Parts: sequence; C-alpha cells; structure tokens
Amino acid sequence: MTVAENLFENLRLELRRGCLTLAALAQLRQEHYGYTLRKALAERGLEIDENTLYPLLRRLEAQGLLTSEWREEEKRNKRFYRLSSDGEQIFGRLLDEWQAINASIHNILQ
Amino acid sequence: MELLDRYLQAVKKHLPWKRQDDIIAELRANFEAQLEDKETGLGRPLTTGEAEDWLKQIGPPRQVAARYQPQQYLIGPALFPSYLFVLRTVCFWTMIAYTIGSVALLATGTVSGSRVLEAVLRAPGFLLTVAGWVTLGFAAIEFAATRRPEKFPTLSGSFSNWTPSTLPPLEKDAVHGKKPRSLASAVAEVVFGFLFLVWLLLIPQHPYLLMGPGSLYLPYSPFQFAPVWVPVFWWVVAVNVVQVVWRCVDLIRGAWRQPRRAELIVISAIGLVPLGMLLAVPDHAYFTLKNVADQARYGAALDSINLSIKWSVLVICAIVVLELVWALARMSLEAYRRRAASMQ
Repeated sequence: MTVAENLFENLRLELRRGCLTLAALAQLRQEHYGYTLRKALAERGLEIDENTLYPLLRRLEAQGLLTSEWREEEKRNKRFYRLSSDGEQIFGRLLDEWQAINASIHNILQ
Repeated sequence: MELLDRYLQAVKKHLPWKRQDDIIAELRANFEAQLEDKETGLGRPLTTGEAEDWLKQIGPPRQVAARYQPQQYLIGPALFPSYLFVLRTVCFWTMIAYTIGSVALLATGTVSGSRVLEAVLRAPGFLLTVAGWVTLGFAAIEFAATRRPEKFPTLSGSFSNWTPSTLPPLEKDAVHGKKPRSLASAVAEVVFGFLFLVWLLLIPQHPYLLMGPGSLYLPYSPFQFAPVWVPVFWWVVAVNVVQVVWRCVDLIRGAWRQPRRAELIVISAIGLVPLGMLLAVPDHAYFTLKNVADQARYGAALDSINLSIKWSVLVICAIVVLELVWALARMSLEAYRRRAASMQ
C-alpha cells in the first residue's frame, strides 16, 4: 500500500467510524442479533465486517444505548439487541447532528 | 464444524476472562448463522478449503479478540500533555543537577580522562532511570484515574482554568519577522555547551586537547605557566557552567525563542573577571622561566610571548566590553520604547 493509499484508508476509516455507529443505532430501532443486523445493513448498502460490528454492539450496550437479551431462535441461542430509551434520545440528537453536517457539506460543495 | 470450534477456542484465549464465555457464545451464534447462509446458498457444506478461506477473511483470532478489549493507554490523552511537561522539566533539572554534581566531584578530586568519560557515559542511564520513574508515576495515576474517575475530577478538566490573558507576550523576533531560534538549535546549544565544559575540564590533565602535538614539547620547554592561570581557568569553567545552566532553564521555561540580551550581559560581565585578572598580572608575566639562569637565552622570547598575550587579552577585553555596552544600550532602548508605548 502506498503512502497516499494508506492515508486515504486511515481517513476513510475515520470518516466511517461515526457513521457506522449511527447506522447501527438506526437499524436497531428494530430488534436484531449480530448476524441479521450485519445482513440488514449490507442490504441497505453499508457493509461492516464482523470484527467491527460485533464489538461495537457490546460497546454501545455497555454505554447504555442498547439493551440485549439471550433468546432461542431456530434452535439456537442468540443475543438480540435493541435501542434502549436512552439510546433513542441519543440517536435522535446524533441524527440531527449528522443531517446538519450533511447539509453543510452539501452547501459547501455547491 | 471442527475448524470453527478450533477458531473460537483460539479467540477465547485472548478475550477478557470475565466475559469470554458470553462473547464466544454470541460469536458462535453469529458465525454459525453465517455459515448456514453460505451453505444454503451453495446447496452443500463448505469444503475445508472454503471454510479456511472464510475464517481467514474474518481475521486472525488474536485480532478478533483484540477488538473486545477495552482501549488501554499507559498514559491517556488527558494526562499526556502534563506527563510530557513534567518529563521534560524533570529530565532537564536532573541533567543540570547531574552536571553540577559531576563537575563538583571532578573539581574536588583528580581530573582524569577516565573519570570524565565515566561521568559522561553514566548520564544517559541516569536520565533513563529518572524518565522511567516519571513514566511509572504517571502510568499509576492513569491506572487509578481510569478505575476511579470520581477521585480524579481535575484530570479531565485540567485545562479549564486556562485564559487567553495568561498567554506569554508576543516574542520580539516574531514581531520583526525574523525566524525565531528553533528547539533543535536550543537543545544543540545545551548539548554542545555541556561537551565544551567536559573538554575544558579535561585540558589540565590532557593539554594536547588544547595544544595538539605542541603539548609534547611542554616538558622540554624552558617556559612555564604563571600561577594566575589556575583561578582564570576556574573562572572560565564557572562562566560556561552558568551559560549551560541558563540555557537549560530557558529550555525548561520554553523561553528559548526569546532574545538572550540578559544572558549576554551576565556572561559578558562574569567573563570580564578572568580578563581583569590577566590584565592585573604584574609585568604581564603570563609565562615565566622554569630556570632563572635561562634569562639571557630565552628572556627576549619570553617578553615577546607575554607582550603578545597582553595585547590579545586587551583586544578580547575591548570586544567583551563593547558587546556588554551594546547589549546594555539595546536593552535600555527597548525598555524606553516599551515605556513610551505604554504611556500612549
């Protein structure tokens, strides 16, 4: 990887980091377990690799933004996640912030 | 699938032990669902090669487990600026104390090359030890602050007391558009100042450092140094110690970019003392004959040498006095301008 590519990759990851959290929170307005959440996000055009998404869910839960429960589905125990009430509030504010940034960038580019 | 079991077992070994069973159960459910999807798509079980490719794509077990570890710092970003400041301060003060201590020890005993070399070689180890203790101390504070944040509320808000009025005044060099002295050159001045001091201290025992091959001639020379050179030598050492210490203090205070008028005045003033001692020598006898009986043979040469030294000392003295007067005049002028500006 060249220096320019490496720099681009670092900046891209930095740019994506916050967006991934927002996307995961948005998708978890409905209950999901790790794999179906990943699939749902991918179907909407946001590919996230396992090593990023699954630990992210744990962190968001530890921060009180998600709640989780173990439940059996299709003869397999799975951990289902959903947005908590605190998470809903924070998600709403983050969404406003993201939309404001998005609108600003759009204005700057015009 | 045995390969997946082996993979998860390897991941588990690197997970935080309190949560490892829970994380592995979740990972297993996710991976098995993913595997099931893949096999449904293919209409057959994965071959060993395909399973290996899939797990390879997920990543090495250690890397997968690392994502579940809390982010750990030896010294975190909130504490790091303070750590760097303290480390720099402590290291420089240690260096000053070490230099003064070493010079004092060398001055009280016999100055030999091996003793000076020993003192110089001991310095990096000494500095590293001090830096290690400072780092350990801050790592302990970080450790405690991470686990008991309520006990260290000031760490996160340590910069909240900052106000713009506490900023240092605009530097003169920056005002006149001149490039200020860089940190690298300020550090180099301290390092070379220290090395010069070492070199100076070695001269009495190793005159070849000053005179080169000419020092071999010294024992056979009919001339000898007059006693005045001993206090003159120690004054020169003192002047250099003051200069090195001054520059170290400037570095610690972060004042290396500021003009060095005060330093120049003090050093020039102290530097006049040994020059005055030399000028005060009766009959300017800087060198004398080892054997008075040689007066007829070497007397004229001795007078010529002493006269040359006298004129050299006079010229150096004149330069130092001019420098001193110039620095004092500029300082007075700047003070007058500042006063005039404040009255407007």
